[in-house]
Amino acid sequence: MPLDTSIYALSHLRLDGRRWNELRRIHAQISTQAAADGSSYLEMGNTKVICTVSGPAEVRRGAAGGVQDEKAGIIVEVGIAGFSGIERKKRGRGDKRIAEMQATISSAFSSTLFTHLYPRSTITITISILSQDGSLLAACLNAATLALIDAGIPMSDYIVSCTSGAIPSYSRTDPDKELVDPLLDLNGQEELELPWLTVGTLGAGERISVCVMETKVRVERLESMLAVGVDGCKQVREILDAVVRRRGKRVLESVVR
Amino acid sequence: MTSLKRSLATDPHASNISSKVFVRSTKSGKVQKIVRELYLRQDIPCSSKLCSACLANVPADANGNETLFVLSEKPAGTKAFPTGHYLVPDTNALLNGMDLFEQSSGFYDVIILQTVLEELRNRSLPLYNRLLGLTKSEYKHYYVFFNDFRLETYVVREKNETINDRNDRAVRKAVSWYQEHLQQAVKSSGRSKNVPAVVMLSDDRANLQKANADRINACPLAEYVSGLDDADRLLDMINTSRQGHEARTNVSEQIYPEYITLSKMMTGIRAGTLHQGVFSVSPYNYLEGSVHVPAFEKSLLILGRESSNRAVSGDIVVVEVLPKPQWKTPSTKIVEEETLNKDENADVEEGEGEAVVTEQERRALQEQVKKTHGSNVEGRPQPTARIVGVIKRNWRQYVGHVDGSSSSMSQKNRRQQTVFLIPMDKRIPKIRLHTRQAEELLGKRVLVTIDSWDRDSRYPVGHFVRTLGEVESKGAETEALLLEYDVQYRPFAKGVLDCLPREGHDWKVPASLYDPGWRDRRDLRDLLICSIDPVGCQDIDDALHARPLPNGNFEVGVHIADVSHFVRPNNAMDAEASIRGTTVYLVDKRIDMLPTLLGTDLCSLKPYVERYAFSTIWELTPDADIVSSTFTKSVIRSREAFSYEQAQLRIDDPSQTDPLTQGMRALLSLSRKLHQKRMDAGALNLASPEVRVQSESETSDPIDVKTKELLATNSLVEEFMLLANISVARKIHTAFPQTALLRRHTAPPATNFEALATQLSVKRGLTLRTESSAALASSLDTCIDAREPFFNTLVRILATRCMMSAEYFCSGTHAYADFRHYGLASDIYTHFTSPIRRYADLVAHRQLAAAINYSPLDAGSLQSKSRLESVCKNINVRHRNAQLAGRASVEFYVGQALKGRVTEEEGFVMKVFENGCVVFVPRFGIEGLVRLREMRVDGGLEPEGEFDAEEYVLNVNLGGGKGRRIELFGKVRVRIRDEKDEGTGKRKVRVELVG
Repeated sequence: MPLDTSIYALSHLRLDGRRWNELRRIHAQISTQAAADGSSYLEMGNTKVICTVSGPAEVRRGAAGGVQDEKAGIIVEVGIAGFSGIERKKRGRGDKRIAEMQATISSAFSSTLFTHLYPRSTITITISILSQDGSLLAACLNAATLALIDAGIPMSDYIVSCTSGAIPSYSRTDPDKELVDPLLDLNGQEELELPWLTVGTLGAGERISVCVMETKVRVERLESMLAVGVDGCKQVREILDAVVRRRGKRVLESVVR
Repeated sequence: MTSLKRSLATDPHASNISSKVFVRSTKSGKVQKIVRELYLRQDIPCSSKLCSACLANVPADANGNETLFVLSEKPAGTKAFPTGHYLVPDTNALLNGMDLFEQSSGFYDVIILQTVLEELRNRSLPLYNRLLGLTKSEYKHYYVFFNDFRLETYVVREKNETINDRNDRAVRKAVSWYQEHLQQAVKSSGRSKNVPAVVMLSDDRANLQKANADRINACPLAEYVSGLDDADRLLDMINTSRQGHEARTNVSEQIYPEYITLSKMMTGIRAGTLHQGVFSVSPYNYLEGSVHVPAFEKSLLILGRESSNRAVSGDIVVVEVLPKPQWKTPSTKIVEEETLNKDENADVEEGEGEAVVTEQERRALQEQVKKTHGSNVEGRPQPTARIVGVIKRNWRQYVGHVDGSSSSMSQKNRRQQTVFLIPMDKRIPKIRLHTRQAEELLGKRVLVTIDSWDRDSRYPVGHFVRTLGEVESKGAETEALLLEYDVQYRPFAKGVLDCLPREGHDWKVPASLYDPGWRDRRDLRDLLICSIDPVGCQDIDDALHARPLPNGNFEVGVHIADVSHFVRPNNAMDAEASIRGTTVYLVDKRIDMLPTLLGTDLCSLKPYVERYAFSTIWELTPDADIVSSTFTKSVIRSREAFSYEQAQLRIDDPSQTDPLTQGMRALLSLSRKLHQKRMDAGALNLASPEVRVQSESETSDPIDVKTKELLATNSLVEEFMLLANISVARKIHTAFPQTALLRRHTAPPATNFEALATQLSVKRGLTLRTESSAALASSLDTCIDAREPFFNTLVRILATRCMMSAEYFCSGTHAYADFRHYGLASDIYTHFTSPIRRYADLVAHRQLAAAINYSPLDAGSLQSKSRLESVCKNINVRHRNAQLAGRASVEFYVGQALKGRVTEEEGFVMKVFENGCVVFVPRFGIEGLVRLREMRVDGGLEPEGEFDAEEYVLNVNLGGGKGRRIELFGKVRVRIRDEKDEGTGKRKVRVELVG
């Protein structure tokens, strides 16, 4: 069994050799599936997701989801592959965790996409998780952003997301004072051991549009965790932006030719 | 369709990313494949003060704290490495010689590689924790180098390479990198300095050979140590059992059966064919052990060495139940290892294999079996079992002395020889020890560790850690005792002392009422508060007051030292206190839980000074019914610190009519009513032999032993403390239903009393009713022998031993009905009144402070059920150990007080065996074992005894028509003298029957 997060104080190195403020390698591709209206493939470390977007399309008869008349409804379907985790596990339709992720993603994008442009229609975001190693929700949000851009659905700005956590530590000079060591972009092992949150921001600023935390943490620690998370989102945005621009350039070139 | 697969070669970061793939199996037997990313980097410093290149990119944490470099510029050298050296031990070296690395005489500037740390953690968690402790110490200069994250030192496991070979290669690579790196660092600094050598310490022969081929400085641990000063002592501290043990594989030489595999054990336990439990050895018979498993009501007996199969008392073992015809009753005989296997030569076994069971042992067992078959004994036979595997060894360090007869002392040369160490704890087998200093060790208290117990060895093999001093010297014996009971007795570390208030002894309650310390504190300085404690008490936890109210009721306050004001959660002092768990009281020494400044001054509710307190104030009716209760932080000024005797005198003196005395009288009368109520509810009045050792004031040599006296004032204090504890328990349980720290005492199962009840009915025709605590209490009251007033106390002592022990627990882990405190007959209970000396009380203080909205509860620890559970588990163990240590200390001093004296006293037979009995001597509170063979007349043969197990009578035939009848509960006269055992060199109290 390898070491755990308790050695952080010794080395200031995390379980995978990163420093506290380093992201994992992010690799993203856009327009990966020709058949879909929009699609993307995203890796954050060993977390790998595929996202496809179909729509805006006419409302399907009897489709679930809050389809309002004057706005397009956003339906999110998350599928976690049985082989994606350490243990092979089949998740049913009614899995609460998946339902919550779907709701979070749907509500995040319903405020960013210009849904009023597509009355009486639905936009379906389908996310397949191929491999999980932490920061799952963040990866889904990032992949969905790319796929929606690929689908050409107008939106006010990118939603980018990442996770942050905290390791408790104590000051050497004043033992009564507690310090916090925030960590950026947690992997699966760290998520098991530490309190963490997923933060998503809109655009390059510091407007937080998603913030999900399911672990307990002292309220004093929250501020530095959020700050680090928002900072990480900025880095993620630059990476995603570069992917989109590269794709845009290629599209333009092909049109010109 | 486009393919999503991409080649890593196109990625610019690819060279920095690797992944670790490994396979692990879970508890349930599943196999999991785990893939982890690894980010390799070049900014991990070497941490040598010689290097300036690494200094440029020191890592910092989020708060900007940089790690300091630890490896010194001019490390110590040896003859072989005159320029100084940094040591790089591999995992084997640490496993074999952890005791060496903890020495203060050497082993400085050590580089611990990540590979080694990881491997060590897998091999032995305790050693891993000790190593982490070393890396934290400032003066030892230990540095953990994360070689698997550094690009240059990262090693990819090759195909067909075992993980061990890969790790060894990683160690060698790191060592050679260090060597080069340091050379460069020194060269680039321009100054001509000596480059310290980087020395790999390893006990793996293949690794050493490869290291030599790679031109790396490497040597075996033993070779390195023999180049140091004081090599003999240091060499003894190396664990030798792990080296070169491939020689004996011949099946015929294996003495013990093999353990079955872990997966087999797990399957067996799940299927119910095997059982898991803690192995414990009987204190009277070292060949008989027992394992309590949930599937059987009675403990499973483990008889004989072969069945106990290398398990040591305390290990968690897996057992297989033997077929019914082999079930036996527990032995009724005293069997002691020292007497059976005396004069064994420790060296013998190295030569040829021998039987597990010696001839004497076999005879002792056989005789017993015969007896049990012959007479139809009262108890049904108990299931027996044999041990098939060990889940977890609970070996610790053991204190003992070297058996002088086990080695040939004539050899004057410093050759390594093998001796037996006889542990102080009778339940632990002899430990074979290889030593070069056998002569010096004779007559000393020695600390050793068990290294292993192989199938071909009759006894476990261990190695020397250190000597504590002469056997029987006060210092050595006290330290031995503390080690045996795992009491943390080292002085407080600097980090802990840093947490104390800066003002030290000059700290005072702030004069200004606007000071933050006064926030939400009630000013109770005008109340007439006093404390009542034993004579000479320095850590005064509690103080009391009472005053009449205009409506005829009384206001009664219990004021407890406000320790939680000084000990903040989660700092170093809190961590230390939670590990220590309790203050340990020995006869001549107190091992504090908190630093003395707090314990005996700032927190102690000393008279005439203002102190912070946590007060519980009730309004009680004159019949001691609670009208209302309030809890508040406060400031008090105690008017007087009484001893129990002084308080009693003052209350009894009719001429004293001042309000303070009146208050104390009110307290006394209320406490009597509280006591009566408790008794009516079914509280037990139990007895345990308590004696006090009187010592000479100057030399503190013990001179006499007195049994403790109880005064009415003792009970006064006790009643109000109980009341406070119960009130607080209710309050914190309402506030935190899931996480309140409470204390409970479960009702003992009826089977516990079976033996005692039968004994009472057979011997005295008395019935013991045990269906409830009230029934037990009343039936204990009837156990009286008109001729013998002590008989009742004796029964109470025996009944106490049938009880379960009380325990701390976290309220969320049990149903409310199980909160009950059996002994106190209260539905809920906690400890609140002694925060200076018990950690549980400190936790209760914090919870109460949160419950009254004085301060928020610290989220990290006390709100989490699992954290609280682990705290409870620790303090339960510490509490028990503290009690045992205290008792052992009294026992030692009683022995010292009796030194050179022969006295005759009255005693009572507590237990009858077929070759002896246990006699309790109330005067000294000691139990003595009387063996038949000590009753022989003038060096004759051991007298024959006829044991009637149904009547609990042992008829001894002293020869010549004389006989003697030893009866359970019978009164006997005994002669008590101390005696030095030649074999063990230990002084013991001997009890002999007289006349």
